This record gives sequence, structure tokens and C-alpha cells, in this order.
Amino acid sequence: MSDTVRRLERVLNPRSVAVVGDKRAMGYFWLRNMSTFKGKLYSVQIDPNEIPGILELGVSNYASLLDIPDEVDYVVCAVPRPVAPRIIADCVAKKAGGVSLFTSGFAETGETEGIRLQERIATTAREGGLVLIGPNCMGIYNRRLGVRQAMDQPSGDEGDIGFISHSGTHAINLSLLAASHGVKISKSVSAGNSAVVTPADYLEYMAQDAETKVIGMYVEGVQDGRRFFDVLRRTALLKPVVVWKGGASEGGRRAMFSHTGGLATSSTTWQALVRQCGVIATDSLDETVDVMKALLFMKPGTGRRMGLVALTGGQSVVITDAFERAGLEVPLLTDRSYDELAGFFNVIGGSFRNPLDAGGTLGFGAVPENLARMLRILDEDERIDAIAVEVSPRMMARRMPGDETAPDWLPDMLAAHKERSQKPFLAVLHPGHLEALVAQERQKYVERGIPTFAGFQQAASAFAKVVAYRRFIAGVE
Amino acid sequence: MSIASIIDRAKTDGRKLLTEVESKDILEEAGIPTARARLATTADEAVAAAKEVGFPVALKIVSPDITHKSDVGGVKLNLSTPDEVKAAFDEIIAAAKKAQPDATIDGVSVQKMARPGIEVIMGMSQDAQFGPVLMFGLGGILVEVLKDVSFRLVPITPRDARQMVQEIKGRPLLEGYRGQEPADVEALEKLLLRLSDFIEKHPEIAELDLNPIFAYKDGAIAVDARIILS
Repeated sequence: MSDTVRRLERVLNPRSVAVVGDKRAMGYFWLRNMSTFKGKLYSVQIDPNEIPGILELGVSNYASLLDIPDEVDYVVCAVPRPVAPRIIADCVAKKAGGVSLFTSGFAETGETEGIRLQERIATTAREGGLVLIGPNCMGIYNRRLGVRQAMDQPSGDEGDIGFISHSGTHAINLSLLAASHGVKISKSVSAGNSAVVTPADYLEYMAQDAETKVIGMYVEGVQDGRRFFDVLRRTALLKPVVVWKGGASEGGRRAMFSHTGGLATSSTTWQALVRQCGVIATDSLDETVDVMKALLFMKPGTGRRMGLVALTGGQSVVITDAFERAGLEVPLLTDRSYDELAGFFNVIGGSFRNPLDAGGTLGFGAVPENLARMLRILDEDERIDAIAVEVSPRMMARRMPGDETAPDWLPDMLAAHKERSQKPFLAVLHPGHLEALVAQERQKYVERGIPTFAGFQQAASAFAKVVAYRRFIAGVE
Repeated sequence: MSIASIIDRAKTDGRKLLTEVESKDILEEAGIPTARARLATTADEAVAAAKEVGFPVALKIVSPDITHKSDVGGVKLNLSTPDEVKAAFDEIIAAAKKAQPDATIDGVSVQKMARPGIEVIMGMSQDAQFGPVLMFGLGGILVEVLKDVSFRLVPITPRDARQMVQEIKGRPLLEGYRGQEPADVEALEKLLLRLSDFIEKHPEIAELDLNPIFAYKDGAIAVDARIILS
């Protein structure tokens, strides 16, 4: 384990946290973020006007980090920029594990003074063996220990995903959106300017962190490209890495003499990197969460042949289009499957070529067993590798006469299928005109560990990307 | 001359652009087949070289200051007799001097005309962040106009080489068309891997173009090559 990774182990799993420079004007933002922290929390603030408010929060306050009668594993520094260098020096003197510098106005401004100050604190940190996160960042999130970047982040239980982000907002929003889909971020780092510790370092940490089953990243630019490439390549072989790249092509030195120099852009180079390393590239927050869902909640598999179940003719056409467009196959089933389907399928207002247009067969009387039969048939069909089912909002909204609650037979049945089947399984829950209902119903699927997607295209795309990753790892094609 | 000595000599001369002859010599050392070129400094030398390599030949201007030879009228192809070679030599020198009067002219390279094959291009340039990037594409106007190329970071694996070739939209052209024999895709993949190895071992190389490479059903050969030092 490298020095940096060992130090990150301490900082990312702190037993004690100190917040320096929190203020009423910020709503004691950082201290409140840490109100869920399971370990020891301390405040450092010398302004006498601020101290009563801090004490009211139940946090003990000190004039300096060096006065704290305890080791300090993680420091959040929120002081004004001119004061930052002294606090960083204090962190070194205190032998703190690491410090996250919330303060901005450093190299990200592009101004001489900001750049100079950043270099100065970076040097202090490096020479002192101090982990410096940022500057200009939202620091660390540790779900289990209750170290947070925002007050609405969940805490107290364990998670599965390690997230590394150049943006604090994206780190926070990702954790919140993911949580509402049953995807639990165990740790995240808002890396800010990455003056000392870089995404490559955090990747090395996540690669060996037992709490991280899948790694996610939001990346805007890379400073240590060669190292980043090496670490990413090795890491992606150990755990799935989902990379959401932000930012248009950066300017760069363009070679004038060769064809290659004229054609290679930072965008084509990034694409090459992604393909070579076998990472899963995403373009948005939603897509990143979709892919994480597919990775966590779908059984592993490398096949691309889909068995599709939709509820009307129109939907069965569109679902097939979506999956085929994503590069997947929708093959004919075996004769054995067709024979069995013919036994109970209602072909008036329905068909069962694959896709299965099942509305007429499930019917207004909602014969649940027929859906279970369809899923079993697809599960047993050797021409099918994975199954996707449309769950329409109207079907979800259908009530039994006199019963106000939506039927649970549907998520229960799909959960039972998923439990029994070895094939990857997806459910498409399009909100349609019943967004609020679907959001509510979706929780039942989240609770049962069924991955759901807000549309056919989203489902197909997430599935295709995950399968491509699995095939890469398996050395297929 | 060995790779190291060629590079040293260029450094001593204070230039970064290697000549076609030098570039090809280096690539041959690296195990990459090229249409070997000989340097001729007089029309007579050109004729002698042509006789040695065998007609028909191609003559190209050799100058560290001229990067786009065709643009200055510095390329003459399909020369079948000593007289044609002599005339071509003089025309090339004159055209180059006219287009770039200040250019240092080393002479003219003479190489045997390669049998036409499917044109592909391979190249390398340095990315400021990620270092050497390898490129593959179908050659000629397909690269210039359609930019139908694939990239990978050095070092590449056999899988990367395979994907680089498969990713090209014009890949079906490699299967041969209108009577053109198909390209030896395995040979192209091997070439990419050799190039990647070579680039990894020589960080002093900043850019590299193999354009065109002629691909045949049983191999491929770099017909022109350009190497630029960092």
C-alpha cells in the first residue's frame, strides 16, 4: 500500500473530525454536516462572536487545532483564504491525518496570487506528510460514519459505491439521487483543485477499499494523465469504474506537422482511454445512477440477447427498437417456448414473437400467473440471455375494486423471478403522466432490489454499457 | 545506421524533422517494413539507385525543411527509364527551390514503386496529458476528409490493436472491393503493436506518420514515413 493510500485510509475513516472557521453566516454549515458523525467532533474558531453559537450546537471549541486534547484524523478548513496557509501549517504541526480545504480562490481562479498560494499550501502539506484534499472542495463523505458534505445526505448504514468527483455539487447530488434509487454511496471525495492528492490517488484507495464494490467518477480534466491512465487501467480490472466526463475539449498543444497531431483532440484521446481501460462512460447524472443500478442489482452476464415483455403492441415495437438501437439483439425464441406460450397467450390484442406483447394476456382481470409463466419461459429459453419488462404506470395505478393501495403482486412477482433466475433482469417504470405515483411505486422495486429505469432507451443503454464492460472483463471479443 | 546514431546526428544538426530516408531506416530497425529509399544527391546517383532498386521508381525531395513534399511539386511517381529519372530529378530540385528558396536540400530519395494496395495510415502524436497516442485510419482522402480514424494510448494490447482496426467506419474496405485484394488485417494489427513497442522505447520521438501504408493480402509496407523528434 502506498503512503498516500495508507494516509487516505485514516482520513476517509476518521475517528475524530475538527472544523476550522465555521460561522453563523454560513449557518454553521460544516458543524451541522458533522452532526451525524459517530466519532469525536471539535470546532476551532477564534472569533468571540461565533463561539456561543458553536457551543449551542453542543460542540466544544478551541482557539487552535493544537489545543485539541486528542488526535485529529480529518480537518475541514473553512477559513478565509489569507488564513488558510497558517491552518495548513497547524494541521502539519498537529500531525492531523488530512485536511479538506473548503476555501476557494486558489489556482481555479487562474490568477497569480491564487496559484501562488495554492503552491505554498501544497508544499507545506507535501513536506509535512499531510493529505490535502482540494482546495476549493466539499471534502469527504463517509456514509457509515456520518461524515457529510451536505445536511441531507443519508448516514449510519453501509454502502457499495466509492465516488470521486471534481465537483462538490455532483458528488452531493449523485449521493442523493442514487440513494433514492437504492444505490448507496459508501464514500465520496470532492477533489476540488487536486493540488496534492489527485483522482489517481483516490482511485488507488478505492481499488483496495473493501467498502467500495463499484467506483464512480465525475472528471473534468486530468493533470497527471500518464499516471491516471495506469491506475485507471489496473483499477478497472478489479472493480467496475463508471466515469462521467464533464467539460468540452480543453485547449492543448496541437502538433502541426503530422496527420495524427492534426486529428487527435482531447476528446478522441479521452475516448481512447475509456475504451482501453474498460471503464463505463456516462454523460449525465441520471445515466451514472442508471449504470450503477444495473451493476449492483442485475445478475452478471455477458450475453446480449434480450427477452422483452411489453404491455401493448405499440410499446412492444418501441421497446424492441430501443434495445436494438443500443446494439443488443432481440431474437426469436425456441420452438419449445413458442409451444408453451401458445398454450395460454391471448393472441387477440397480443403477440409473442419476442417481444412478448402481453397486455391481452395479463388482461383487465390481471391474471398474475400468466406473467410469472412468461418470465419462466424466457428464463428457460436458451436463446435468451437477459430479460426486460415494461411496467406501465396505468398498470401500477390499477386498483382492485374497493382497494386504495396499488397491487403489490407485481413487484413481488418480479422480485421472486429475479431471485430465482440467473439472467440479468430489468424493469422499465416510465413515469408517464403519473410521476408521483410511479415515484412512490418505484420504492417497492428499490426495496426488493429490482433495478428500474425511467424509459426503454435508458434501460437499454445502461444494460448495453454494463454488458460491454462485463464482456471486456471476460475477454469476450 | 542505428536508431541512436540517426537521432544523434539530427540532434547535432539541430533539427527535429528526420528525412524520409532516415525515418525509414529507423522504422526498419524497429521491425516495420518500409519501401526502402536511397538518397541521391545528383541525377546520375538517382539513375544508379533506380537501377539498383528496379524500375519503375518514385523520386521524392529530401529536405529537413520541407514537410509536405507533394505540395511543392517534390514527388514524381512511376518513372520507368533512366531518362525519366534524370528529368524528374532536375524538375524536383527546381520545383522545391522555387517553392521554398531557403530550404536545405539534401537531395532526392529513390524507391521502387510499391505495388498498389489498400492505403492505410498509422501515426503517433503526443497528448499533453496522456503522452503518446497511436492512430490508425484508412489512408488517402478518407483520413483527410472523413477523419475516419481510431486512437489508443501507448502501450497498446493485442485487443486494442484489433479494436483500432475494427472501429474504423470504412473497415469493410479492408476486405477488398472492385477487384482490389483484401488487406492482411493481422499484419496491420501486428504493425500497430510493433509501432507501440517502438514508441514506448523511444520517448525522444514526438510525432510519427506512416502514410501511406499499402496493405496487401500477405503483409503491409510503409511507402512513406515521417518522424519528428521532441
